[in-house]
Amino acid sequence: MNQEIKTMLKNPSARRALRVAVALAAAAALNACASAAKPEAMVSATAPDAKPFPASLQHAMCVRAVTGGEKTNALWISKVDNDGFKSALNTSLDSAGLTAPAAACSFPIDVNLLGLSQPIAGFDMTVTSHVNYKVYDGSGQPVLLTTVDAPYTANFSDAFVAAKRLELANEGSIRTSIGQFFDKLRDANPKAAAKP
Amino acid sequence: MSRRLFAKPVLLACALLLGGCAAKTVVPTQIAQPGDETLDCAALARQIAGNEAAASQFFHQDKQTEQSNTAKNVGGVIPGLGLLLIMSTDLSNAEQIKARALVDRDEALRFYAKQKGCEP
Repeated sequence: MNQEIKTMLKNPSARRALRVAVALAAAAALNACASAAKPEAMVSATAPDAKPFPASLQHAMCVRAVTGGEKTNALWISKVDNDGFKSALNTSLDSAGLTAPAAACSFPIDVNLLGLSQPIAGFDMTVTSHVNYKVYDGSGQPVLLTTVDAPYTANFSDAFVAAKRLELANEGSIRTSIGQFFDKLRDANPKAAAKP
Repeated sequence: MSRRLFAKPVLLACALLLGGCAAKTVVPTQIAQPGDETLDCAALARQIAGNEAAASQFFHQDKQTEQSNTAKNVGGVIPGLGLLLIMSTDLSNAEQIKARALVDRDEALRFYAKQKGCEP
């Protein structure tokens, strides 16, 4: 077998074909069509033994606006869009028992995705999302204003194709961000924080 | 000769791939900071003006980075060198993140200014 390969590699046109194949494989690994981060993969699950949220926040919150997200260009790289983020945050609030019944939202949340710091390539791809979460009470006073910087690394074993690895890193970063936001909500004191 | 010419950029690109082209570390301004409640009207006005100026500078730099990235992507079709150009694309969004953070920070500071009855 090795002898056959050696004989084949002595042929210049076979060597050229092999080089083209390697280059194409490398290009495919580097770039495939990019897909937007999936909302269901950005949902933060609440651990059953996690610290409870303040009673006043339970079944009293809703997502009012998400801004700063970007649509994904399939020919470029994976991004996180506003609708996807909003859907992930809504599902996360739901599973944490924070979502208010329709038209009874006491604590609206505004989210500003400041941006994603993404790598252009690499075996291990770390994406850091920078997000401002703004929670207000019924009178419009801020209850919690917080900036969350959340890094997440997707490695080669998670996905062979770089575009997919970046998408996984985006999703992981937003999932981590929502989790950290929830940790801050657990420590919030809605009544005291209402007075600046 | 031509093989040598292409070998170096390809090797460099491989090294970049192996090492990972990590994004720059970005530290945005926190929207709320300890001591915000104690700022007086003059301090609030100073901070708001300073943040506005810095944000405008960052937005300008962000546009320049975007233009530079576009140029690098167009140059990506150049054999050998193209890969290096694409690898040098800056996707850290550092300036955009810093600028947006300052705009949000000013929104919070304006809230405190309003609460304290400071002149707009």
